[in-house]
Formats: sequence, structure tokens, C-alpha cells
Amino acid sequence: MSPRQADVAQLVEHFTRNEGVRGSNPRVGFEPILRARRIGGMSRPLAHLSDEALVLLAARSEESALAELYDRYGRTAYGLALRVLRDERLAEDAVQEGFLAVWRTAARFVPERGKASSWILTLVHRRAVDAVRREQRRRSDTLERAPEPAVGGADEDAWLRLQRERVQDALRLLPDTQREALELAYYGGFSQSELAERLGQPLGTIKSRMFAGLTRMRELLGEPGMEMSWTSTS
Amino acid sequence: MDLHELTAAYALDALDADDAEAYEAHLAQCERCRAELAELGETATALAFGTEAPAPPERLRGAIVAAAAAERSNVVPFPRRPWAFRVAAAAAAVAACAAVVLGVWGAGRSTKTEAVSAVVVLGADRHATLTVSGLARAPQGKTYEAWVIPAGGGARPAGLFAGGGTSVVHLRGTVPSGAVVAATVERAGGTTAPTTAPVVTAHIS
Repeated sequence: MSPRQADVAQLVEHFTRNEGVRGSNPRVGFEPILRARRIGGMSRPLAHLSDEALVLLAARSEESALAELYDRYGRTAYGLALRVLRDERLAEDAVQEGFLAVWRTAARFVPERGKASSWILTLVHRRAVDAVRREQRRRSDTLERAPEPAVGGADEDAWLRLQRERVQDALRLLPDTQREALELAYYGGFSQSELAERLGQPLGTIKSRMFAGLTRMRELLGEPGMEMSWTSTS
Repeated sequence: MDLHELTAAYALDALDADDAEAYEAHLAQCERCRAELAELGETATALAFGTEAPAPPERLRGAIVAAAAAERSNVVPFPRRPWAFRVAAAAAAVAACAAVVLGVWGAGRSTKTEAVSAVVVLGADRHATLTVSGLARAPQGKTYEAWVIPAGGGARPAGLFAGGGTSVVHLRGTVPSGAVVAATVERAGGTTAPTTAPVVTAHIS
């Protein structure tokens, strides 16, 4: 065993041992589904680690940790990028750039500031938004056209379907103006000043709607059973 | 503009680049906004789980892991020397990216420069990330500002960072061959042209 492998093995052991402490959230019981999953027949030796442990391993240039993070969040990331960009090629680019940003900046990740899953998806989202703002062609059609109901596919696992339904349920409970502001900003990639112009509202109104919408979403998602990220149970 | 009010928009990536940079500079100094962003950011990201889509193409996983591996082999560690120097980019033909080591200029900071290190990772699409470690946090009312200076052109603002610890700056726009990447100390919020001598500088081949 090389020194680096020994190092990694030690880290893996450390996080495996401590998993029970940080993963004691009783609300979540999805992990067995994910643990049993195999992507494309590939084995996933790091499937038992927390997201945060994987980021730490990625910071030590452990490629298998990045691959495992992709296995967990790549599909969500791709769905998000596709929703924003409406172009498969551009969505792939955004996902790749986002995960490479994870790779490059993993050492900078601070667990106290938020979950690793949020950090990863934020990096992908940012790239998707940057790209869509460069793509002038989407400007004319996004507001008028409702997002087409994409097909989840029979292979989508139960966990992802459950999360999607919960988020969509929460969105439906928002006042229309708040939902519109959140969807156009997050899924449409519109900046707040673009939204103010297009919706014919003062910038302050748009800011208030986004703030109120996110705050309400937070309350709705904070209710039992609304946990969003991969959290292990033990 | 009250920067405190921008937290929700920032969490949703709904700020223009200039506002986002101003907010990030503010964030470094505002505990309240950091706490609020931690909460609203998690919620904004939950929206990502609200989308549905077909699975990504299988090749994407392999492409990402291969690109990551190629990057690792190309990143050149920064030799800790207190004088300026230049290093050509690692042969770009090797892979889809190249790393460039930045020269660090003393600029009256001779007691601090030895701990400063900086690396530019340049992607195949000419987008680049500047990582700087060991620069003292910018003084109150000041910020570090990164610049891309194309050969024969004027300096283009490429992002703000607060310094202190390690800063990672995704340089705005692309970095053309022959350009110089630099960072200077500027007033909070940044400027449109550098007004002080650079604290780090690199020639990009």
C-alpha cells in the first residue's frame, strides 16, 4: 500500500467510524436504496461515506471520491442544467465545469457553511446560469413557454422521485408571484433586474418576492420528511 | 444599494456579475449575511431537486473523471520564492488544461511574501481559476481585484476576493494567450482599472 493509499484508507476508516454520529437524523431512511444501487454496473467502494467525507477525499485528489459525488448528484445536476439551458450539449458542459470546480476547490469547502450537496449543485447552477445568459436565443422564448414536463424515466430511483415531488409540492403552495419569481430566477437564469423589467415591477418588489418565496419554501421544506440531501442513517 | 437585501437573489444566482461581486465582498465582512445565506442557499438548492430529466449520457461521468485526473497531473506547485518570475504554462497539448505558476511581487511586503502562493488553472475553453493562498485579508474598505490584461490591451476586471486564507477566483471572461493575470488592492466594490501595483502577476502562454 502506497503512502497515499494508506492516507486515504485512514480517512475512510475515520469517516466510517464517525458516520453514526453525524448521520443520526431519524427523518431520513433512503440510504439503503442508494447503497444498493450500481451505476452502469460499476461498483461504488465509497458509497458508505458522507458527502463531506467525499469532498475531503476529493481535496486530496482522490478521483474515486469525485466519481462517487457524481454518482450521487450528477443526475440532479444534469436535470437542473437542462432545465436552465434547454440544450443537452450545453447542459453537459455546465455539469462538467461544475464538477471540475468541485475538484479544483474541494479544499476550500467549509462544512459549517452548508451541505456539500448544496455546494456542488450551486457550482453547477452558476455555470448553467452563466451559459444561459450568454445564449441570447433563450431570451425570447422562456417566459412565454411553460417548461415541458420532462420524463423522469423508469430508471430514476425512488429517492430522487420523492425529493422532486416534495419540492414541487412546496412550490405549488407558494403565492403565484413568489413562485414565478423563484422559477424564473432559478430555472430561467434571469437576473433580478431582468425580472423587474420583464414583469414590469420595481426591483424592490422582485427582491421581496424572492426573499419571501425562499423563506416560505424553507419553512415548507423544513417540515418532517423534507430532508434534501444524502444523509446516512445508522 | 443595501447589500443586505441581496442575499435571496444571490442564493438564486439572480444577480448580475457586478452586483454578485459587490455582494461577495460584503459577505466577507457581514456575519448576518453569511448566516442568512447559509439558510437561504440550502433552500435555493432544494429547487435543484425539483427538476426532472432523463439520465445524463453515460460518457459524462468518464469525461469528468478523466478531465479531473488530467488537471491534477498538470497543476504545478508554487515554489516559495520572494521574487517575481514567470513560468510557461505546462504543455497545453498534454491535456485539456494547463496550470501556470504566478510570480509574487514583493511590493513592500517582503515579510509576508514568502507565504504567498498563487496558481492559475487554465481550462481548454480559456476560462481560468486563480487560487491565492497566504495573502493577508484586505484592509477594511479594500478588496483584492483580479485582472486579465490581454497582450497590447487594457486591464479587464476579472473578479474580487477578500484574501486571508485561500481565495479561489473564477476569472470573469476568457484569458487569451499572451495575457497577464494580476491582482491588486482596490477600494471595496472594485474599480474598472487597477490603481495600485500588483501583488501577484502571471504571464499566460
